[in-house]
Amino acid sequence: MSQLSLKQLEKSFNEARIIKGIDLDVSEGEFVVFVGPSGCGKSTLLRMIAGLEEVSGGQIEISGQVVNDLPPVKRGIAMVFQSYALYPHMSVYENIAFPLRVEKLPQAEVDARVGAAAKVLQLESRLQHRPGQLSGGQRQRVAIGRAIVRQPKIFLFDEPLSNLDAALRSEMRIELMELHKRLGSTMIYVTHDQIEAMTMADKIVVLNAGEISQVGGPLELYHKPDNLFVAGFIGSPKMNFISGKVRKADGATATIDLGSLGTIALPRTSTAVAGQDVTLGIRPEHLSLGEGEFGLETTPNIVEQLGIHTITYSTLSGGENFIGLFEGNPALAEGQPVRMSFPLDKVHLFDAKGLAVY
Amino acid sequence: MTSTRSATLFALALLAPALLYILVIVAYPLFDTVVLSFTNAALRPTYDFVGWANYQRIFSAGNFTEVILRTLIWTFFSVSIKMIIGMAGAVLLNAAIPGQTLFRVLTMPPWIVPMAIGIFMWGWMYNGQFGMISGLLQNFGIISKPWPILAAGDSAFWATIVTDVWIGVPMVTIYFLAAMQSIPRDLYEAAWTDGAGRFYRFRRITVPMMLPAIITMSLLSLIATFNSFDIIYILTRGGPSGSTTTMIIDTYNTAMGSRKYGEGAARAVVICIFVTLFCLVYFRAVRKLQQGEAK
Repeated sequence: MSQLSLKQLEKSFNEARIIKGIDLDVSEGEFVVFVGPSGCGKSTLLRMIAGLEEVSGGQIEISGQVVNDLPPVKRGIAMVFQSYALYPHMSVYENIAFPLRVEKLPQAEVDARVGAAAKVLQLESRLQHRPGQLSGGQRQRVAIGRAIVRQPKIFLFDEPLSNLDAALRSEMRIELMELHKRLGSTMIYVTHDQIEAMTMADKIVVLNAGEISQVGGPLELYHKPDNLFVAGFIGSPKMNFISGKVRKADGATATIDLGSLGTIALPRTSTAVAGQDVTLGIRPEHLSLGEGEFGLETTPNIVEQLGIHTITYSTLSGGENFIGLFEGNPALAEGQPVRMSFPLDKVHLFDAKGLAVY
Repeated sequence: MTSTRSATLFALALLAPALLYILVIVAYPLFDTVVLSFTNAALRPTYDFVGWANYQRIFSAGNFTEVILRTLIWTFFSVSIKMIIGMAGAVLLNAAIPGQTLFRVLTMPPWIVPMAIGIFMWGWMYNGQFGMISGLLQNFGIISKPWPILAAGDSAFWATIVTDVWIGVPMVTIYFLAAMQSIPRDLYEAAWTDGAGRFYRFRRITVPMMLPAIITMSLLSLIATFNSFDIIYILTRGGPSGSTTTMIIDTYNTAMGSRKYGEGAARAVVICIFVTLFCLVYFRAVRKLQQGEAK
């Protein structure tokens, strides 16, 4: 049975529809990441689940109970805010104990729960300090501690790592994953960073303009994106897109005219795309130097040498940006034409509406 | 060496106008008042040094301690009521209600209207024959005959406090409102998520986070109220029979009314000592708050 279930969930602010009929099921113990660009509605969706935003339409069910009209505290959730939302005038101890004080639990119980949370989060030596004296990572842990002590059914995280520097972010990412393993609770995590989504999630929900673009495991989204948006959003560097027109689709092969790049024949069973304008997608890491199943020549404007791999940025004759990612340090130079190729089975094809064609 | 010296000189040069201003407007008159308080300067042209005689006289005369006590009581009630109404007003103005901006604007008139006009308006309202308050109370049958509020000691004392509160509340409200709005919304959302009700959030988040503003405003208001002159002077001139005579009115009456400049100066110096004490308390409180934040 799913622990959280969203049914045709809607949110409007005056005339503007922010969330447009979302259906989603989250199972117990799952780590679900809502990812999408700024303004896609992911934070609003999380705040609706938390009970901080009213629902304009549809239903939110937690453990089978409709919670639309319940206040946050009765929903069995705990939320970690992007800004941490720590009380600056209270000690770390009192910050973590806050929800327990609200519940008026006896002091012994408060001590035990705060102590246990502090131990898990390695904050024991910091309990008497004020938040102002802590580093960003420690503040983050205090905010998580305040969520843990409530022993919620579902943890909600609103971009919790976005205020940390890159090194600390990857460290906290691992800590959060370990915490998830240890607690086994359901966690819903909002981020705009697709690397966080890919590394942490059991299930990724890609949101775009208030709608779900695709739901799936990280590798599923990477290998089988349903549409152009997901294909472009998941993966770094971004997938390359080349426009073309289908000349022939006979149920076994689709022959596509790529203009000055030539013609490519892809194994596709769909015949509906015949005559359509389509988009080809190829990930930068699937390109190789030299000849292959399909080759093209480009001139890199910029070459980035990262040691472990080399990234080239060029522009195709049709105006599309074209990124290549190659292992090691091949001899590539800016302004010098280079021959690249890719295998046909790595090519993604999207129809005129941007939906994947198989 | 030379560069530090020229930097110091430059800093002094920048400070010079302010220093000059303080010397001329504050330091010299203050010094002169202290000197004056040790003389028998009065309307007749004498200016002899008399030592502590003025101080001995005012403290032995009996009514001065009464005046001090009355001033403290007057100030205490006025400041406390201003703080309570100011806080309540800020909470109401901060609530998300339609017409919020209009209500915020409507709090301003007592502050914007020239003080003397506001005070005269209250003077008429307190009038027994034509005043609104007496009239309304008679209309509702609460009192049977005209009530000249400023004519009796007790009612005049409270009437001056009410007027002082009316004039002082807008500033306190706006200041508290600004402090309240600087508290991040996230904190309230986090507390609400944790189940904290309205009053609990007010008690554990709003008040402690506003503490610096509350302390600052209380002490600034304390000093201003302690020195409040125009309200009492216009409404009652310190009467009837001294029931609204605070230290500042008493000083004025002695120095300007009875033309005893030396003795008036001595009374003014006592006011200075009180205000200095208030300032010391204020600075201590601020330092303590800052230390608390760093801890």
